[in-house]
Amino acid sequence: MRVVIAEDAALMREGLVGLLEDRGHEVCAAVPDADALLAAVATHHPDVAVVDIRMPPTHTDEGLRAALDLRRDHPDTGVLVLSQYIETRYAAQLLAFNAAGVGYLLKDRVADVADFVDALTRVATGGTALDPDVVSQLLGAHQRARGLADLTPREREVLALMAEGRSNTGIAAALTVTGGVVEKHVAGIFNKLGLPQAEGDNRRVLAVLRYLGSPLT
Amino acid sequence: MAGGRRASDGGAAPGSGPASGGRAAWGGWAILRAAARAPFTARTARELLFCLAGVAVALCVIGALFAAPLGLSVVARLADRRSPVPGVAPGPGNPAGAGLFAFVTGAVICLALALMLAPRTARGLSGAVRRLARRLFGETIAPPPPVHRRGWGPLGWFTAGWRDGPGWRAVAYLLARLPVAILDGYAVFCCIAGPASMTYPLWWRLFRNHPPDVQLDPVLVLTPVGSFRVATYAGTLVAFAAGAAMVLAAPWIARAANAADLALMRGLLGPGRLAQRVRDLEETRARAVDDTATLLRRLERDLHDGAQVRLAALAMNLGRAKEKLAEGGEPADLAAARELVDAAHRSAKHALVELRDLARGIHPPVLDKGLADALATLAANSAVPVRLHADIPVRPTLAIETIAYFCVAELLANAAKHSHANSITIEAAQRSGALRLSVVDDGAGGADPDRGTGLSGLAARVRTVDGRLDVASPPGGPTRITVELPLRA
Repeated sequence: MRVVIAEDAALMREGLVGLLEDRGHEVCAAVPDADALLAAVATHHPDVAVVDIRMPPTHTDEGLRAALDLRRDHPDTGVLVLSQYIETRYAAQLLAFNAAGVGYLLKDRVADVADFVDALTRVATGGTALDPDVVSQLLGAHQRARGLADLTPREREVLALMAEGRSNTGIAAALTVTGGVVEKHVAGIFNKLGLPQAEGDNRRVLAVLRYLGSPLT
Repeated sequence: MAGGRRASDGGAAPGSGPASGGRAAWGGWAILRAAARAPFTARTARELLFCLAGVAVALCVIGALFAAPLGLSVVARLADRRSPVPGVAPGPGNPAGAGLFAFVTGAVICLALALMLAPRTARGLSGAVRRLARRLFGETIAPPPPVHRRGWGPLGWFTAGWRDGPGWRAVAYLLARLPVAILDGYAVFCCIAGPASMTYPLWWRLFRNHPPDVQLDPVLVLTPVGSFRVATYAGTLVAFAAGAAMVLAAPWIARAANAADLALMRGLLGPGRLAQRVRDLEETRARAVDDTATLLRRLERDLHDGAQVRLAALAMNLGRAKEKLAEGGEPADLAAARELVDAAHRSAKHALVELRDLARGIHPPVLDKGLADALATLAANSAVPVRLHADIPVRPTLAIETIAYFCVAELLANAAKHSHANSITIEAAQRSGALRLSVVDDGAGGADPDRGTGLSGLAARVRTVDGRLDVASPPGGPTRITVELPLRA
């Protein structure tokens, strides 16, 4: 996997580089600001870019804007956005365009190296990786509005894991149930939300995310 | 805000000259010189102009005061003419009641007109005086708010005039300054009659072509305290002396009159004390709110860029180390894991330091033991040697202590950074219900609160609790900065 990293804190940047290189991934460039990120992606065409939201000069949402630019100009490059905080609005903006190849994680998640690399790989291959916090906030925001209250607690759990970008097998492992049970729950969710059943994990996630994201955009 | 005080150029007022005790003779000479020069300064010209305007205003007011009874008498005469048989006792054939009715109606209308017009007229007249004071003396007195009109039509107009508080204050000002106008008149009189009297000896000499034994008519000499007649040349010299005295006195009479007038203006024409207080509070409240927001933002930024990054890096390094250890016991991995744990350890220690500094910046724990102890800690940590005298028997509230602490901390830092001082003295004392702090350094001086934001920011923060910060820092030093705070905010 070929990666470009944009992170202004040198400590984090070097750590990320070391972490990915340990795992045998190629870090094409590690840069400290948004402009350098756009340039690096244009040069290297990486599989995925890891982007910190707050970067110089204003330390507000430079990274997010750069990420949106990347999504538009380089649809083949996945974008994983890292942040100290979760902002539902940012998540909605990221997802508005297309949920394929997008990730939004808290920086804390980097500490669980295996999970983080997993999520990064998912994003690089056109999947989705949303922080559990993002999902729960999005779900919370729409619970009342969209009749999510009809879901059973178990179904809601399944939906949350689905929204994080996990496959049925992943969900089954997380909940320690069998794949069949998960499939039943998924079917139940789509039924209750009135979503047509589609093929493949990714399209399923897209459907869920579009459902969650659209009123926010 | 009645901030701008009168400009003081031209002749120095007595006492404002060099007044050191050892040079009393020199001081007396300076006063004499100033007194002799005073009549010919531009300032005196301005003062006299203001006096002249004051006399004119007083004449207008007196005219208005006479106009009211005059109006009434006109009404009375008109009413009288309406009664059919003047001077005859009222009876069935003489409805004098109609005349009385007309008189009362007219009087009421007159009174209403006066009540309605007086505040508005006074506003206009006093506004002219205020503008003149600004032009001549640079005295800025905030204009009153416009007439607040409630209701509609002529009635609304009437009640607005009647309820116009600032307008009635202007009326009060115009009446209260009538006695001042007498002084104004004296000043103007002195500067006309004085020079005139001083010319008497000249005229006497010029027109001395009368036969030897002819007795000339005595000439009248006018002074503010009375008049006298002179009939001899020696007498005209007395007139000259009286004139000179008047010329010398005129500037001081004018100044006294104008000082009284300006005091009245500040009291009655300026915004009332409450309005001024409200304005001050609004200003300082906005400042305090801004300060808090800025402070919180800075805290967030410090946390985000400091401790949070360190902790995230620490977690990441530990995660990586965990992976290395889990993979198997190869020596190369062990060394790498040790390196990662080492980095994590360093990050943890840095994060601790940053968090501690941040916490101390929010509230220094040493303040819990009282301001005196906190100041002693500050003094001990200062880069420049500090002598501290602290005498704080009654503990101020926490907010005051915190402000005092951060003021002194910043002043010490300023002194260390800019003044090149060799020693600093901090004094903290309580005097008449206030906490008084002074920070004196023997450095280069030249600290200017208007330049740079440090001192003005401190002054603003002190003002939010009705305190004050004074800076005395002549070029070459020493710098003395005094902070006065109430004991409770």
